[in-house]
Amino acid sequence: MDIRKRRYALVIDSRKCINCKACVVACKAENGVPTGNFRNWINADRQGEYPKLRIDFTPEQCHHCEHPSCVRVCPTGASWQRKDGIVLVYEDDCIGCRYCMLACPYDARYFHEESGTVHKCTLCNHRVDKGEVPACVETCPSKVRVFGDLEDPAGRLHELLATRRHIVKEPQTGNGPQLYYLL
Amino acid sequence: MGTTRMDRRLFLKATGATAGAAASIQVGCLSYFKKGRSATADRREVPTTCELCPNKCSAIAVVEGGLVKKLNPNPENPKSRDMLCARGNAAIKQVYDPDRIKQPMIRVGARGEGKWKPVSWDEAFDFAAKKLAEVKEKHGPQASLWSSTEGFQEVFFKNLGLAFGSPNIVRHPTLCLASVNLAYSMTFGTVPSFDLLNSRYVIMSGANRFESIITPDTMDLIGGVMERKAKLIYLDPRFTVTAAKADEWYPIKPGTDLAFILAMIHVIIKENRHSKDFIAAYTTGFDLLAEHVKSYTPEWAEKETEIPAKDIIRIAREFSDAAPRSLYYAGRRSSWYQNDFQMRRAQAILNAIVGNWDQVGGMVPNAKLPKGEFLFMPWDEPKAPRVDEIDKHFPLAAKGDGVYLKLRENVLSGKPYPVKAWMVYKQDPMNAMPDQAKTLKMIEGMDFIGVIDVAMSDMAWYADVVFPESAYLERTDPVEVMAGIWPAVVYRQQVVKPIHDTKPNLEIVQGLAKRLGLSDYFDYTIEQWVDAEFKELPIPMAAEHMKKHGVWAASGQPSYGKTLTPDHRFVTKTGKIEIFSERLKEAGHDPLPVYASPEQPPADRFRLILGRVGYFTHANHSNNVWLHEFMKENDLWINPKSAAKLGILNGAIVDVTSSVGSVKLKARVTEEIRPDCVFMLHGFGKKSKMQSLVYNVGASDAVILETAWDKVSGNAAFHETFVKVTNA
Amino acid sequence: MHEFNWGLLIVVYLFLGGLSAGLFFAAGLANYLEVDGQPAYPRIARMGALLAPWPVALGSALLILDLGNWYRFYKLFTHFRWESPMSIGSWLLTLFTLIAFAYAFAWLPEEWRMKLFSKVPATWKQVHRLNVDLSAHRKTLAMIGFPFSIGVGIYTGVLLGAVSARPFWNTNLVAQMFLFSALSSGAAALLLAMVLDKRNPIETHETKFLITLDIVFISLELFIILPYLIHGQLSVLAVKQALWLILGGPYTVLFWVFFMGLGLLVPLAIEVYELAPSLLKGRTFHGSRNLALAASSLVLVGGFLLRYIFVYAGQLSSFHKMGMLH
Repeated sequence: MDIRKRRYALVIDSRKCINCKACVVACKAENGVPTGNFRNWINADRQGEYPKLRIDFTPEQCHHCEHPSCVRVCPTGASWQRKDGIVLVYEDDCIGCRYCMLACPYDARYFHEESGTVHKCTLCNHRVDKGEVPACVETCPSKVRVFGDLEDPAGRLHELLATRRHIVKEPQTGNGPQLYYLL
Repeated sequence: MGTTRMDRRLFLKATGATAGAAASIQVGCLSYFKKGRSATADRREVPTTCELCPNKCSAIAVVEGGLVKKLNPNPENPKSRDMLCARGNAAIKQVYDPDRIKQPMIRVGARGEGKWKPVSWDEAFDFAAKKLAEVKEKHGPQASLWSSTEGFQEVFFKNLGLAFGSPNIVRHPTLCLASVNLAYSMTFGTVPSFDLLNSRYVIMSGANRFESIITPDTMDLIGGVMERKAKLIYLDPRFTVTAAKADEWYPIKPGTDLAFILAMIHVIIKENRHSKDFIAAYTTGFDLLAEHVKSYTPEWAEKETEIPAKDIIRIAREFSDAAPRSLYYAGRRSSWYQNDFQMRRAQAILNAIVGNWDQVGGMVPNAKLPKGEFLFMPWDEPKAPRVDEIDKHFPLAAKGDGVYLKLRENVLSGKPYPVKAWMVYKQDPMNAMPDQAKTLKMIEGMDFIGVIDVAMSDMAWYADVVFPESAYLERTDPVEVMAGIWPAVVYRQQVVKPIHDTKPNLEIVQGLAKRLGLSDYFDYTIEQWVDAEFKELPIPMAAEHMKKHGVWAASGQPSYGKTLTPDHRFVTKTGKIEIFSERLKEAGHDPLPVYASPEQPPADRFRLILGRVGYFTHANHSNNVWLHEFMKENDLWINPKSAAKLGILNGAIVDVTSSVGSVKLKARVTEEIRPDCVFMLHGFGKKSKMQSLVYNVGASDAVILETAWDKVSGNAAFHETFVKVTNA
Repeated sequence: MHEFNWGLLIVVYLFLGGLSAGLFFAAGLANYLEVDGQPAYPRIARMGALLAPWPVALGSALLILDLGNWYRFYKLFTHFRWESPMSIGSWLLTLFTLIAFAYAFAWLPEEWRMKLFSKVPATWKQVHRLNVDLSAHRKTLAMIGFPFSIGVGIYTGVLLGAVSARPFWNTNLVAQMFLFSALSSGAAALLLAMVLDKRNPIETHETKFLITLDIVFISLELFIILPYLIHGQLSVLAVKQALWLILGGPYTVLFWVFFMGLGLLVPLAIEVYELAPSLLKGRTFHGSRNLALAASSLVLVGGFLLRYIFVYAGQLSSFHKMGMLH
């Protein structure tokens, strides 16, 4: 029985992202995401004038924040956070008020028309609990995302975050986002 | 933390609740997870091999309740590098596509009108066999054309054409990579792989490896550039994703890559930077080359390419300094210009003179693995010569593949003989070939057209009979050896039973063969075929292994330098690496690459260039609902300066007109392209209403592309079309 | 383009919730005011009391319909989450609605009450027990209701203001803005109702009282809106960018012309025009029926627009842009 504290997170080396969308489609299949909705996506920032140009791709999804504002505003407690940091929606308690969607600074949630509830990235908790990595992490051709446990001092995340410069998105919201983007 | 809800499973693990309590909580868990989540009782995992593009990546299909739920990458295949791209992941939607052809159909309206009668397989086979027999009777077996794109079951289709007595098997390479294959074959006697995992300096002309995904090249290169500090120099008129990731991007003047390469060779030889020992030991014709490139100075090349001479010199120096871990990367879909073969030859020669052949981080001849072969009854070789007159016009080209565009010209002219029946497997000539009007004319001239495909492509839409093939997840296919630096044997096995009344290609071929009196040649099952192939795999319990793992790769590191022994004979005329090629000379071509300035578009025209994105390769990918979401319509890339001159606004509908056709699509005014070029993506503007997501949406490049081909290989030249762009 | 997750139903709900709060507040206030020991505005107090519960009840019904799973709305009351404004608001709203109905009941004329209960079957004894005269407890009920009405008025603003992800909402001024807008809407709605009630024509002193009240609330609202704009401009980039939505962006005309102009300044001007002569020069207050009608209607339109603009523009404001394609 392993009762060590865990804190799952993703480190994203977005320089390696080639915008191939493998992660997006893998997530669609793994989690049955409806057409038109996305649990993860790739931002493209295009800059410059011909011929001095730049494109930056940044994959994104739920940041599984330390202080998730979506969880805070949920009136029924359907939005909740596991001890290991994964933010989930307990569907049976979700009344579909969509308040959490407004509260998410990253627009990472969507309304599932069929169930009338809000869905989001689960960090593939059903895979993670079996010891696998999330689908987006596994399928990526250039292995942009690194999944791991921040509490594991011998883990890859620890090493990357200790040795590489990185940022999080919109830290000013106070949410404590847990997607770490390497620079 | 904002909530006190506890993960119930963790709770269970952590506390060791009493059995009764656990059971009651378990019920809650079950009701939570039964909604399409994991761990249902009938979950199966079946290893197979992807078919969405030519890479053939190993995948593990997760089947739940008889449905394919997910495809996971199979880490056992070193070539596919433990990944599955967007297309591979979306293969599920190929199976469950509402647009699929659900049973055989015979045309009842005019060709292309879309009026179909669903028929039984017997009816479809009888109808096609009767038509084929009529053509054979009237014009001989050579009057039938058998065209296909690569795939594990393509062999059966080709064999049917040959057994039928037709020499006219025409395959995709001359619409794809024939020029590059021929150029490297003529130089090295083989087409090598490029060791991007270990290379330190990579130059790429076009090839856009980060959007035109090739395994393991794409993965190895991104790792090289971003992690291992390899340098990537990228030449492309368009700012692609590869350009964005490259260390240096040069928006080279289109069609002048050869000048750049010749100038590099010039610099390397002039500065004595070539690999003398290697050249002396393994090559022939270097002195002629040294003489040949004297006039190709960097200053001259600057005028041709618009790449500064000082950069060419620097790049040449860096390239030779990094050798042998440096590469001028070849790429695929080399169908660009009429001098394409010579440009690829020059790349091969440049690679040869820095001595990166068969070296870590250089070009590596492909390693192969053994497999068995099923011995079937042989047929008499077709007697008639090929209709594309390949021997006369392209004596060096691969005979078995044919030359597509020349073939179309000859079929249209009826010379040297008429062709009246057209069988197509897994190919969409309507979109794959330039000048769609000509293809339509060719279709009009046919007495019979039969198409075997998974989806109703534009070609199938114009057929007389359509045979629905089972999707790859629904079939078992022959075993394939994936040659390369990390060779692997891959196996595609049935994951789910066909959900519609479809058949694997072998059974379709057998159905036709039976009625054409050719049954004896196809008297086997796929299982027998596959078992014969398994038999000679050098592993114990090969069949069991392949069924369980889907792939087998030799363990251990790749071996380099096997060909670098004094007694090694290259498969060339001289047995050496041929910098100077006697065979080219004999065939009437330049034995060393000679540069001729390409024609440039007049002031009121643009050069149309093509390319791919990571999620669309073939024309049929745009109708996959999971991929279509990323781009619902193609558009015309045009530089803001050019757009401003023409008064074209971003998003405006424009007419794009060439000498052979005109299309309408939206303008994308973007800095990411040269002002003298426009670009559009392949796979839109479909004529088939059973490509419902992209039917009549956007435009098909095939409509406006003009017919042109590379002189040596016959490879289509897709970048030789000048178009006029006006506000619609 | 961002999708709107909250739409018109939410706008209507926020407006109606505020309106009820305002009606209750104005009515309760009227109930407390006395001249020479006699209630000064008994008719206003009654009208307000009778109207107050209905908008919020309708609004709540709309809110429930807007849920993805409307039948699960009861779950709002099986949980209490003090960090969630919506959770607190649901309780607040429910209690307020109950008090407002009780207060309305207390103001029900005797014959109406009897008529009402005569329709209830005689066998429903428990229901008939409720047939009591609460008129003596009006002041107590009003006093209990005041904090709840203020609470509801504030809550409609806090619901938005507490969303830290939307810089357009996330200031400490939105709650007050919505409160004063609610109170002003309540006063205006009362005025409108009194003017429209032809059987009991409104009297001049009543018009004067309601107009005075409204002028006070509109002025307070203005004192919130101006700092909202000024602070926003002086704030961090995200807030500044969010304010662009009404300072040049898609909601500019709606905000300045229709809300600020027609919904706030024009009615204020009308009301000041009406009140000023009697207030400053001691002239008789006339109380033009048409002007009262116009001013009160415009205030209601303004109150609705304020919520409309905030709900929609707020959803467009973000720290973060999604780039789905390419």
